[in-house]
Amino acid sequence: MSRHRIPGRGRVDAGRPVQFTFDGRSYDGLQGDTLASALLSHGVHLMGRSFKYHRPRGPVTAGSEEPNALVGTSRGPGRTEPNTRATVQELRHGLVAESQNRWPTLSFDAGAVNDALSPLFSAGFYYKTFMWPRNFWDKVYEPVIRRAAGLGRAPTEEDPDIYASRYAHTDVLVVGAGPSGIAAALAAARAGASVTLADEGTEIGGSLLSDPGVEIDGSPAWDWLEDRAAELRDLGVTLLTRTTAIGYYHQNFLGLVERLTDHLDEIPHGAPRERMWRLRAARVVLAQGALERPLVFDGNDRPGVMLAGAAQTYLNRYGVAVGERAVVVTSHDSAYYAAFDLADAGIAVPAIIDTRAEIRPDLASEARLRAIEVLSGHTVTATSGRLCVASVTANPVTGGEVGEGRQLRCDCLLVSGGWTPSLHLFSHTKASLSWDAEAGTFLPDRSLEDLHLAGAGRGLWGYAASLSDGAEAGAAAAHALGHAAQATGLLVARDRIGTGITHGQLPTHRAPSRVRAFVDYQNDVTAKDIKLAVSEGMRSIEHVKRYTTTGMATDQGKLSNLNALAIAADALGTTPPQVGLTTFRPPYTPTTFATFAGYHRGAAFEVTRRTPIDGWAEENGAVWEPVGQWRRARHFPQGDEDMDAAVDRECRAVRAGVGIFDASTLGKIDVTGPDAATFMNRMYTNAWTKLAPGRCRYGLLLGEDGYVRDDGVVGRMAEDRFHVTTTTGGAARVLTMMEDYLQTEWPDLDVWLTSTTEHWAVVALNGPRARDVLAPLVEGLDISGEAFPMMSVAECTVAGFPARLFRLSFTGELGYEINVPARHGRALWEALMAAGADHGITPYGTEAMHVLRAEKGFIIVGQDTDGTVTPEDLGLGWTIGKTKEDFVGMRSLSRPDLVARGRKQFVGLLTADGAVRLEEGAQIVDDPDQPLPMRMIGHVTSSYNSAALGRSIALAVVENGRERMGETVHIPMPEGNVEATIAPGVFYDPDGGRAKL
Amino acid sequence: MGATHVPMVEDLPPRHRLSLRVREGGRGAVGAALGLDLPERVGERARGGGREALCLGPDEWLIEAEEADAAALARALGGVDVSHAAVDISDREVGFRVSGPGTLALLAMGCPRDVARIAPGRGARTIFHGASVVIRREAEEEVRIDIWRSVAPHVRALMETGLKELRAGL
Amino acid sequence: MLLIHCPYCDETLPEMEFAYAGEAHVARPVDPSRTTDEEWRDHLFVRSNTRGPHAERWRHVHGCARFFNAVRDTVTDRVLATYPAGSPRPDLPGKDTP
Ligand SMILES: [Zn+2]
Repeated sequence: MSRHRIPGRGRVDAGRPVQFTFDGRSYDGLQGDTLASALLSHGVHLMGRSFKYHRPRGPVTAGSEEPNALVGTSRGPGRTEPNTRATVQELRHGLVAESQNRWPTLSFDAGAVNDALSPLFSAGFYYKTFMWPRNFWDKVYEPVIRRAAGLGRAPTEEDPDIYASRYAHTDVLVVGAGPSGIAAALAAARAGASVTLADEGTEIGGSLLSDPGVEIDGSPAWDWLEDRAAELRDLGVTLLTRTTAIGYYHQNFLGLVERLTDHLDEIPHGAPRERMWRLRAARVVLAQGALERPLVFDGNDRPGVMLAGAAQTYLNRYGVAVGERAVVVTSHDSAYYAAFDLADAGIAVPAIIDTRAEIRPDLASEARLRAIEVLSGHTVTATSGRLCVASVTANPVTGGEVGEGRQLRCDCLLVSGGWTPSLHLFSHTKASLSWDAEAGTFLPDRSLEDLHLAGAGRGLWGYAASLSDGAEAGAAAAHALGHAAQATGLLVARDRIGTGITHGQLPTHRAPSRVRAFVDYQNDVTAKDIKLAVSEGMRSIEHVKRYTTTGMATDQGKLSNLNALAIAADALGTTPPQVGLTTFRPPYTPTTFATFAGYHRGAAFEVTRRTPIDGWAEENGAVWEPVGQWRRARHFPQGDEDMDAAVDRECRAVRAGVGIFDASTLGKIDVTGPDAATFMNRMYTNAWTKLAPGRCRYGLLLGEDGYVRDDGVVGRMAEDRFHVTTTTGGAARVLTMMEDYLQTEWPDLDVWLTSTTEHWAVVALNGPRARDVLAPLVEGLDISGEAFPMMSVAECTVAGFPARLFRLSFTGELGYEINVPARHGRALWEALMAAGADHGITPYGTEAMHVLRAEKGFIIVGQDTDGTVTPEDLGLGWTIGKTKEDFVGMRSLSRPDLVARGRKQFVGLLTADGAVRLEEGAQIVDDPDQPLPMRMIGHVTSSYNSAALGRSIALAVVENGRERMGETVHIPMPEGNVEATIAPGVFYDPDGGRAKL
Repeated sequence: MGATHVPMVEDLPPRHRLSLRVREGGRGAVGAALGLDLPERVGERARGGGREALCLGPDEWLIEAEEADAAALARALGGVDVSHAAVDISDREVGFRVSGPGTLALLAMGCPRDVARIAPGRGARTIFHGASVVIRREAEEEVRIDIWRSVAPHVRALMETGLKELRAGL
Repeated sequence: MLLIHCPYCDETLPEMEFAYAGEAHVARPVDPSRTTDEEWRDHLFVRSNTRGPHAERWRHVHGCARFFNAVRDTVTDRVLATYPAGSPRPDLPGKDTP
């Protein structure tokens, strides 16, 4: 048994020792311990070094609000975590924990020199000290500061754990399973509501786990808890322990993080480490309790100085004495109970220093019974001790004067500055708070959410009050949902009621420059820093916070905010509400990034859409490129080809023989109904009325602002049916836009839109031999040049599969696009590959497709256009139906700035040196020698090496480009200026004869 | 979370699927041609003669039938003289079934809607792991899911992760 | 994540099924060619940017696919009412905006 463990106390299992290491040294703890309680059971208070000054620190709390005892934990490769709160981490076999922010060792830390230099690091020191010389910031100051100041190190290996996510729906969510939360859950569940009860702790009970002496309805607290846990189970209440409600969002939507495996000795196969519950509740009961507030005095951060309630928890819940000689300093009655419990457990408690002049008589007599001296009306002005507190100096305060001090020897100092209701989640709802001057704290006011608050979380104190308040909240929640509900009262014996007062900084007679009274332990902010911020002009707590960093650490100021506020208000001579309270934001406690990501990491990071031919491409060495959510084969390298070589070969094959291409990702929309042509006329620039069934047309879609949004070939399948194709990336957007107009502007039109993108697999055959490959496989259609000319569409059978066959060309060669139901896509592809073997059929990818179309000057919307390009800019004015009275975007084409001279026009660019390939996105200027900033007249939109031309080609938009054919422009690049000539955009087969074979 | 319940996930064979669109005035006529009383409210289903209709929107029904019924369906709809659209989407989606205890838990990993509130016998279009899906609740712990073909591998992979999680019992 | 009542499905469903679609009651002129440049500019670009109850369009994209209208308070982010496309904006009793 370790030295500070008290046999027979606590909820730990004395029969189940657990081995762990801290800073390489082996320790044993007990099942049920936290890392902090286990270390404390060995008398280890020193658990870390502070952020800025590297001061030795130990735990001040026994919960998730802990600012000091942050350690690194690990359980094997990739499973390391920095800044684990030792007060929350449950002990497990083989747990490896290490202190942080120290070198070489925790007890001797070279960085502690910062503490001696502390005058250099006062509030706002970043802003003041490192102003000059300016370039020192990146090179010297920041790296040095980053190395010296900090918490743990981020892990470098990939996290092998799974992080889960689950949506949940409940009638009533109760946050916090302390006495008021349990009472609320019971009242709601007994009334028939479905109830979820969540608590960040390992078991239900909250403060009752630290107060076993209380009796409820005649049962000792812990027996009562056991019975209630069974009743909650029987009532079907979903009990989520080790689950922190981290955020409260709109309409009772809460995020809760459940920790599933960190406490387990072994991780079950497939088990997630944590789970994010995204929970929607009809009613929420917030029963989060209150957090004990530290007192601010010189030396209040030494290891061994801890909150009185924490010491009581370590004693009663873990059976650990946090010291052998405890002095208490308090402004609240609650610390007396902690003192009594410690004294009753055999720990020496020589004195209670109370800042109040009047002591409740019953507490005073209880103290007398235990021979505890009560120093009423006293302050604390100093502590001593290097790595652990050794004494405290108590001074009487009379008439505002601090008298002569008296040094009291101790090895732990228990502090209580009152209690702060936990209003974090309540505040997430944009709720208002009200200032309670008497209690010196904020209380909940109004929220728009359907919520109830109960217990200490709304400022109540004592078990009887919390239990009945919880029951009433639970009943009210159930009642609001239509259940007949009752709040049953409970009899509480040996209740622990109390009141207190609050302070900013405790009075002291010492020179302010010599006082190190910490407000924010984690960010090393002292009372002096806050007063300095005020004296330097900060008036709002939001400014004080940013200037001093108080409340900005990972604990979000759970312990420090109200003390900082009180000190700032004192310095400003005003009240705390005048200075304001900073906004609490989710998450309530630090949350792993992986839990937010959930399942969406690695290959599942986002959707990867695959075509029906994806498998073939994968088996045949495709190099992929993401296009929208799709993955598409970019090229099919053979042997040791690089991309350029593969693309050149694929392009040559299409130009000379036949290439095969997976075009399945093209968006497809079926437009059906008697008003189909009318609808198409209104949506697209083109005229559709006279397009005969069986024919296709290139369609251009504008936004209402007149800019090109999408394009694609549209086939008329019947009088009342069009097969519209869109760009790959535009499919969903175009359908949405069409639906928008149809539903909201022209609901009278009898036409319906259906996405058929995924119904069809599409294989494109391109090249002079395309017909030779295809013809033998086609049944039910004559595809000769005369019978099935360019821009035809028909239904037929290809390779035995029902097909919609298009004759069109995006490459400038004889081309077909064969649509078959998706399930046949791969079989069609393989049939065409077999049929084309003798013709040298060559699969090509998106890169070759891009080159081939660029040689023909065909645009790719989104690459050659950027949302500010009109049909006229592109030279596509011919697509506009000349007699049309209206279509989407038509009116905008006569907007003044769309008809003004000087618009950028789509042209070709040929570099002076054909071996030089321009960079896509590069800016174009007229005179490369002009002074900076240069006037940019356009940019390169597409650039490739053209195998057909034996040189590079580019497409660009250039001011008045079409009038400037043959003129020279310049593209300044980091490596030097590139000269290019403006050329027509069609580089290959300008007459278009090849596609009409 | 108690006992370990792991549902079964199985791919379903292809079915003939039509997206049927018709205004309220033509609903009766088109339904009669199909031999179905096309339900009026979103989420409701009607069955008969091996055919099934699920109302997905105020003028939209998903018609399902045996593949062998495709030609007969087309003939039946060809004879209707009210304006409508019937588009073959048989290959747009793939279907699978999740059944057995744990079904709703598996769905809750990716579906923000409370699937428990889709009564057995009803259906809905909703979102699952970021993808649009059609869910039909066949029984307390049995659903069929139709999902666009290209995203099915992504969603199935996530469901496999979910099954592992359910097997682990945590 | 908001809860939104779809007037076509008559169900209150999670926001993830829906997509926002801009301000409501901005009707496309019947004959855009007869609008002045200023009128057309206003139609294209000028919106009310309301603080408080704002009529806006949503689409139940992962559901019935219908566009509909909603009045949402841009201060509280509460949807106060939803109604079918083409219907007039409903009169709402004075909702408190803190
Ligand atoms: Zn809907």
